[in-house]
Amino acid sequence: MALKLPRFGLAGQDSHRDDPYWDFFIHTPPADLTNTVTKLVRNAPAGNIFPTKAELHSPEITASHVKGMAQYFGAELIGIARLDDRSPLALAEESKGGAEGEPKNDEANNLPFAVACAVHADYDPRTSPGIGGQMPVQNGLFITFVLSAWIRELGFRAIVLRDADNDALAAKAGLGHLNGQGRLVTAKFGAKVYVADPIYTDLPLAADG
Amino acid sequence: MSKAANIEPPPEANTSAEFPTPYLGRSVRFVGKFVNVDMKQSPHPKNQRGELGKPLFNWYHNTVSKDPLTRVSAPNHFADRRHFLSTVVNQAAKGKVNPQKVPVSDAAAMARHIKAVARYMGADIVQIAKSHPSYLYAAGGGRYVQDGTAKDDHAADTPEDLARKFPYLIMSTTAWDYDKLQAHRHLIGDAAYHISQIKGNMILKALEGYIKELGYTVLRGVAVPQAVGIASGVGELGRNGLVINKKFGARVHMPDPIMTDLPLVADEPVDIGVEDFCKICRKCANTCPTNSIPFGDKVVHNGVEKYKINWLTCYKLRPYVHDHWGSCLTCATVCPYTKPQAWWHNLATSTLHNCPFILRPILIRFLKWIDDTFWGVVRNGRVQWLGYDSGVKPGEHACTVAGCNASHEKAGATAVAGNVGYYAPLKENTNRFVKREP
Repeated sequence: MALKLPRFGLAGQDSHRDDPYWDFFIHTPPADLTNTVTKLVRNAPAGNIFPTKAELHSPEITASHVKGMAQYFGAELIGIARLDDRSPLALAEESKGGAEGEPKNDEANNLPFAVACAVHADYDPRTSPGIGGQMPVQNGLFITFVLSAWIRELGFRAIVLRDADNDALAAKAGLGHLNGQGRLVTAKFGAKVYVADPIYTDLPLAADG
Repeated sequence: MSKAANIEPPPEANTSAEFPTPYLGRSVRFVGKFVNVDMKQSPHPKNQRGELGKPLFNWYHNTVSKDPLTRVSAPNHFADRRHFLSTVVNQAAKGKVNPQKVPVSDAAAMARHIKAVARYMGADIVQIAKSHPSYLYAAGGGRYVQDGTAKDDHAADTPEDLARKFPYLIMSTTAWDYDKLQAHRHLIGDAAYHISQIKGNMILKALEGYIKELGYTVLRGVAVPQAVGIASGVGELGRNGLVINKKFGARVHMPDPIMTDLPLVADEPVDIGVEDFCKICRKCANTCPTNSIPFGDKVVHNGVEKYKINWLTCYKLRPYVHDHWGSCLTCATVCPYTKPQAWWHNLATSTLHNCPFILRPILIRFLKWIDDTFWGVVRNGRVQWLGYDSGVKPGEHACTVAGCNASHEKAGATAVAGNVGYYAPLKENTNRFVKREP
């Protein structure tokens, strides 16, 4: 049984119609961002890579275990993309028009795989700045924080990279396709989906897509 | 005989006009003079100071788990503290209370809202208790949030002052999953316990932040979680010392509650039959690897009548099994209330709840017979999950993943067959910790 994450279905929205405070929860941006978990987790520095590499299974099975672990942490859709010659750094800079991409060093280069995790999002986090509207982001951060930490504890590199083109990467990882606005559309959730910041890793995996 | 006739009024100990002795349901009763729990004398702080002996001190502070998942999910056994989310969340800077307070004209609506918010964030159970000084840690003892800090401007306040200023306690918690719990005393059971725990900690932090954004004060590390769990109706206190919930049984965390001045409406303690069941069942006492759970009746401890476990012997086992698992969970797993979400479980608990007290012993003996027959006295089944396999004997290595063609240096010789799981330590090997009661 996967760890339960909240469901954001239409029925859920309807069930809050009588709640006079629900709109505040979803749409009012926090007065102090320190009150949000998203800021805390996003700003947390990554830990060290465990010095001894864990004994791995075959790449196909390791990939299925990564997906199983992500699912247990709450991810509803998980895919793995092979990055070929396009490094995460290059992807990040592309997505920002070559401006200030992160990270600013070569740390993110030479990581051949990206793990894309997505959760259902009935409220679009881009237009719902309240703590409730940002719940898909919070859930995505929980998944990627613990999953990337676990990969580092296996003895491999894992970097959660903000500002990459998450939706395009998710489409490349086989989670769905991009619509006219460049947003991911999935068979399960349509466009009501949030793609968490991808994890770039050198853990030997088998790619989807 | 009606249920109402069986519920005795709370005794008049520790009574004041402002704070009458609280009613905590049938499983726990205040019967005498109660002294507030000193947070510094609770197990983890005592161990942190080295007062429980070197093995426990070193287990707590100086051990790194061999398991990568445990290193990111269990407190204090990480190789790198930055990989443990609860540390990140609990040690973060505290946000400010929004000066633009959201007015609350209907406390009941706000209580429903807070519960909806917590569930939306992923909580499995959300209940509210009316604050009472008895639920709070003693004055001057400081705050306690494991792996975190909880400083605030009210540290010098007495429990009575705090209960006046902050009249509500919110218990928002998560349950750990049933299937993996069947491999308790194993890393698989640990995963279920610890991942749901860090998820719950994050939800509490988010809920705390949201209440501040509503314009109200939040205190953490102030209240005894079990007291709040019982007072708010999360469940009843069992023989195993755990709060037992109607839906999830004993597989629920009791994290640090949120104390607040947000106007809410409190819930009441519940009767789900635990009081009657624990008198008869004793499965947890029979199967506890350290004999830390009593077979006898309740005792009065610090003015409270309850089943009292021997927490020290329970705690002492951990350094000796560190290579195999982190959290025992036997008493939670074998509890007949701990069952999956299924119609037959709901039927059993509802029937028990609605059964007159006088007939409950007959019903309980029947339900326990069903549980022993179909679930068993203790589970020793094999559980496999993402490369973990409880069919591999402790201390041995084997890759049992179907289709894996990788060469494993450690995987060896052990052939794993059948449906038997191995869970160290065996009961007969643990009598060195404490002898079973005669």
